[in-house]
Formats: sequence, C-alpha cells, structure tokens
Amino acid sequence: MTWDHFIFFAIPSVLLWTVASAWALRRPKKTLPALFTVLGLGVFFSFILGMWISLERPPLRTMGETRLWYSFFLPVAGLITYQRWGYKWILSFSTILSAVFIVVNIAKPDIHNKVLMPALQSPWFAPHVIIYMFSYAILGAVTLVALYYLFREEKLQDKERIMDMTDNLVYVGVAFVTMGMLMGAIWAKEAWGHYWSWDPKETWAAATWLGYLVYIHYRLLKTSKNKTSMTILLLAFMLLQVCWYGVNYLPSARGRSVHTYSVR
Amino acid sequence: MNKDARRIWEKPWSYTEGFIVAGGIALTGLLLQLLLGNIRPADFRSPVNTTVGALLVAGLLCCHFLLRDNHVVRWLSGARSTVPAMLVVLLSIVILGLTPQFTIHEPQEHLPNNIFSRMGWYRMTTSWAFVLLCFYILVILGLTVLRKTRKSQSWRLIGFYLNHLGLFFALGGGLLGSGDMQRYTMTVVEGNTEWRAHDALGNLKELPVAIELDTFIIEEYPPKLVVIDNRTGKILPVNRPGSYMFEGLGKPTQLNGNTIEVLEYIPQAAVVRDSAFTSVVPMLMDGAATALKVRVTNPSLKAPVEGWVSNGSYLFPYQVLYIDETSSVAMPVQEVKKYTSQVTVFTEAGHRKKANIEVNKPLSIEDWIIYQYSYDEKMGKYSKTSVFELVRDPWLPVVYTGIFMLLAGALFLFIAGPKKNRKS
Repeated sequence: MTWDHFIFFAIPSVLLWTVASAWALRRPKKTLPALFTVLGLGVFFSFILGMWISLERPPLRTMGETRLWYSFFLPVAGLITYQRWGYKWILSFSTILSAVFIVVNIAKPDIHNKVLMPALQSPWFAPHVIIYMFSYAILGAVTLVALYYLFREEKLQDKERIMDMTDNLVYVGVAFVTMGMLMGAIWAKEAWGHYWSWDPKETWAAATWLGYLVYIHYRLLKTSKNKTSMTILLLAFMLLQVCWYGVNYLPSARGRSVHTYSVR
Repeated sequence: MNKDARRIWEKPWSYTEGFIVAGGIALTGLLLQLLLGNIRPADFRSPVNTTVGALLVAGLLCCHFLLRDNHVVRWLSGARSTVPAMLVVLLSIVILGLTPQFTIHEPQEHLPNNIFSRMGWYRMTTSWAFVLLCFYILVILGLTVLRKTRKSQSWRLIGFYLNHLGLFFALGGGLLGSGDMQRYTMTVVEGNTEWRAHDALGNLKELPVAIELDTFIIEEYPPKLVVIDNRTGKILPVNRPGSYMFEGLGKPTQLNGNTIEVLEYIPQAAVVRDSAFTSVVPMLMDGAATALKVRVTNPSLKAPVEGWVSNGSYLFPYQVLYIDETSSVAMPVQEVKKYTSQVTVFTEAGHRKKANIEVNKPLSIEDWIIYQYSYDEKMGKYSKTSVFELVRDPWLPVVYTGIFMLLAGALFLFIAGPKKNRKS
C-alpha cells in the first residue's frame, strides 16, 4: 500500500459519509447514518492499516500522516456527537472538513519512508498522537460552530442550545487535549529525561490548553457573554494551529524543537 | 443591572480587579527581575523549596479557616480572579513561545542585548514574573479547592477535585522540585567503569552511581539511494526530494526520472579509490562502509551508467556515481534504528543491576534514572563509546500523583460533560 492508492480509498469513504450526512439531515432515525459513517470509516481505516503494514511502523510521524488520522477522526467525532446529542448537521460538518484534509493530502502527499527514529519507538507514540488528533477534530468542529454563531447571531432563535452544544464539545475536546498532553509528558520523561522542558511544541500545547480552560472558566459565570465566549474559542483554535504546525515556521522555534520528525 | 455602578476595589471584586492583581504580580516580578536577574533554580533546592511549599500550604489553610468570610479570599477562589490570572499567564506563555529561549547555563553574552533580555523574556521560565504568576495560580487553585469542601458534596465534584488538586500537585511539584533536580551526562568506553559525570556547566562530579559498559550496539536502517544535484549537492527533485530504501536486489526503482537498479550489495566493504578506478571488496572489520553497485538508465542516456555508491565511514570516503553533468546517485548516511548499551550499574549503597539501556528504555536504580543519551557520532556504528544521562528528581512522585489525578479528571470530564442548565 502506498500513497498512490490513497485516492481509491478516500473517494468511496467521502461518498459513504456524504450519504450518511444527507440521510441525517432528512430523517430522524439515527441507524442508517451511523451505519454509512462506520462503513466509510472502515474503508478509510483499511488504507491507514495498509500503510501501517507496508511502512512497518504506525503512520503518525509526518504532517501528511497526522492529516490522515485527522481526516479519519473527524467523522468519528461527528458520529459520537451525533449519537450522543443528536445534532443532525454535525455529520455534514465533519464530512466537509474531513474532505478538505483528504484533498490536501492528495494534492500534497508527504514523502513516506520507513524510518522511525529511536525517540519515537515507544508504546506512547500511537495513543499520544491519535488522542491529540481526535481532540483537534472535536475542537475544529467547535470552531465552526463558533464562527456560525458569530456570523448569524442576530438571526439565531435558540442561542442557549448552541451554547450548550459548544460546552459539550469543548469539554470532550479539552478532556482529550489533557490526556494527549499528559501522555506526552509521561513519554517525554521516558525518552528525554524530563516530563516538561518548554520545548516550542510543549509551550504552544500549554497555551492551547490554557486557552480552552479560559473558555470553560469564563462560561461558569452567569454574567458571561455569548459573543465573548465564542471569540475565546476562535483565539484558542488559533493557538492550536500554532501548536500543530505553526511551530515549524516560527523563527523562535526553528531548529530548537525536538518535536521535528519530518526528515528530508 | 447595577453592575455599572460598582467602582473598582468596591466589594465584590470582579474581572477588573483580577487583571489589576495579576498585572501587579507580573509587574512586581518585572521589578525583581531588573534588580536581581533570573531565578537560579539551584538556590531553591531543599530545604528552601520544602519550606516554601510548607509555608504556601499553611498559608492557604490559614486563609481558609481564619479568613473564611473575607471577600478577597472568596474572590480568589472563584472564576473572577481565575480567568484574568489565566489570561495573564497565557500571555506570558505566548511571549515565551515567540521569543527564542536560552537556558540558565548559557552565558549572558549569548543573549540579545535589549530591553526584553533585561525583562527576562529570553529565559522566561526562570524569570521572576513567570514564577510569581505560577505561584499565584497555585494560590487560586488551593483556595478554590478548599472553598469547594464547604459546599454540599456530590459525585460531580470528583472531577473537580481530581482536576484542580491534580494541577496543584503537578504544577507545585514541578515548580518547587526544579531546584532539587540533578542532571548529568556520563561518557563510558566499552569495557570500562565510570562514576564521574558532567553537569550542564561542564563541571566534573563524582556520582554515587557507577556504570560499567559491557557492549554498545548500533542497528541501522537499510541504506538509501538519492539523486543529487552535482553543483549544489541538494537531493532532487528539489520541491519533493525522493529517496529509495534498499529492499533487495532486482527491484528497479524510479528516482528523478532515472531507473535505478541495484546489482550488488556489500554491507561491509572496503572502498579504495585511486586516480584511475575504484575497487570495492568485502571487509569484515571495523570501519567497513556500506556499498551498492547500481545501474542507471534514463531516456537521455545513450548507454546505462554503472558503478559503486557508498556513504563511507571514518576509514573510507563516500562514493557517488555520476549520471551526467548535472546529477549523481548518492547514498546518505544511514539512519539509526536502535542503539543499545549493555551495562552493569553499581550504587554506593551496594545495589547492582545488569540491564540493556536504550532510547525510551531507561534504567531506574535507587532514585536515579539512567538514559541512553548519545554515542561517538564520528565513529558511527563502530562507536565504542556510549553517553548516558543520569537524572535525579526527588519530586517526581508528587508530579506524577498530579498527572495521574489530572488524567483521571480528564476522563471524568469526558464522561460527565458540563453541568447542565447553569444559566437557567
């Protein structure tokens, strides 16, 4: 399995997810959308699995590989949200977002090779990155909800319902960001001798985490304003972008981060 | 709403006071920074840190029990002080992320000579402002937890306690423990025993732990082939450098428009060049290089090009194969798959342990953790030297207690979700 086969898995997956999304929008019953989403996920995951086997290591090292997991976890997050809270539009959301990342990967695939440097050979590698990608997927969805709210505030009927929804999603997202970060800390202790070294990636991970905690604590008060809450979410997501790939371009972080694994 | 009628510092305090207090703490830190320079963690080693920790906890308990109705104490245990404090800390973390950071051990002359340098921004984590803000967060966390114990308890509060106490332990343990942390690097040659190690400043110190290096083994990935630009040495095509990892004979591959086939593989070779030609023969000795004989064809070549390619070693130079005037086939240095030190470790107290130490597989003995750190990179896979890092962090159990509480708290957050109908 190589990157060249990606398109043959990606297109059927996106089609299945699209059917699921359309169904969820029209009909109240949750069974069929769930079934189609799971089928699409199955097709998509078989590509990931194929890459895993042919690379002889989990495909989690390069940016392209993490995008692959991100595209996978968006529909997963969408499905969980759909099942748990019944937001019927969430599957359309996650499908579109996932498709965007799939297109990026088709247009600009990474160089793939089997090399996995010793620091990455750890049982913490897969859970650390996978949990982070899952949380990014959820927080990406929250960001879109926030944007939707900010652009349409005047016309919205049931604002409290949307606020409840962002709360729900942020709590799930923060739970996973926390787990991903702390697993990273435990791993860092095992690999580099210290659980926290303020490496640029760690610094921005802390900033991201704190950004979402500000939202949670701000929302605890009855006096909180919806618009401010949603703006906090947008700013927090910008911190997340810096943490995810922005650090690769930051002059302050260049050549200093131990979190750079895309070898040329 | 009569909110607008409230003046600053009038009870009950709100966000405005929160920003003033957090900003005031940052400003105090800044003044201390200008007066005293950075905090040296070593000055806070035991018993200073334990005293500070005990005073902090005692102070929090006193505030809680003696000043329970004081409006400042109540304000400190609520969101109106927390949110501004978080935002000010967040701001300093963003500054930390945007400025290049230097360790406390680097001489001051290496830092940029500007106002930010005097403000401590290039060594943010040991600057007074940053550390004081962290303590402020600890105070808020402590008082918030204590205050919650007065409320009627419910199962939902399990998550609250795990998260807030967990962070209190992890942050407090990390902050206070940094003074007691010891890190040394120790270089050991195969067959020798070593107990002297260097600290970050390069001072040699005798440790209560000795390492005997029995053997040191490096495993490498298979060799790779690339096509490079003869002029620049850059891997082609420049926008998406391609490489081929050798997988066995008789499998042609495409690189930058060339078909490359490996004809012969000698994992341990002597590569001898004179003015006329290159001879490559097997050599089962240290210093042998990896060599591949390849055949290159492409539409613009009249006849295939054939020859040896090698990445060299400390004994032999590398060898490239010219395809034409512009490009060549080359073999980059092989990537390391794994390096292992087989060691016997002794301690002053009389413990003895035999183990294999690898990256990601450190060895714990008494309160020391021994890490595989490096090797003699000039010698590559023939290195007879292994470098270890020895770390002692007596506060680790406190930090780990916090981390595991936070992990459980995160799981709780995921399952329980936010409190419903808080606004109605």
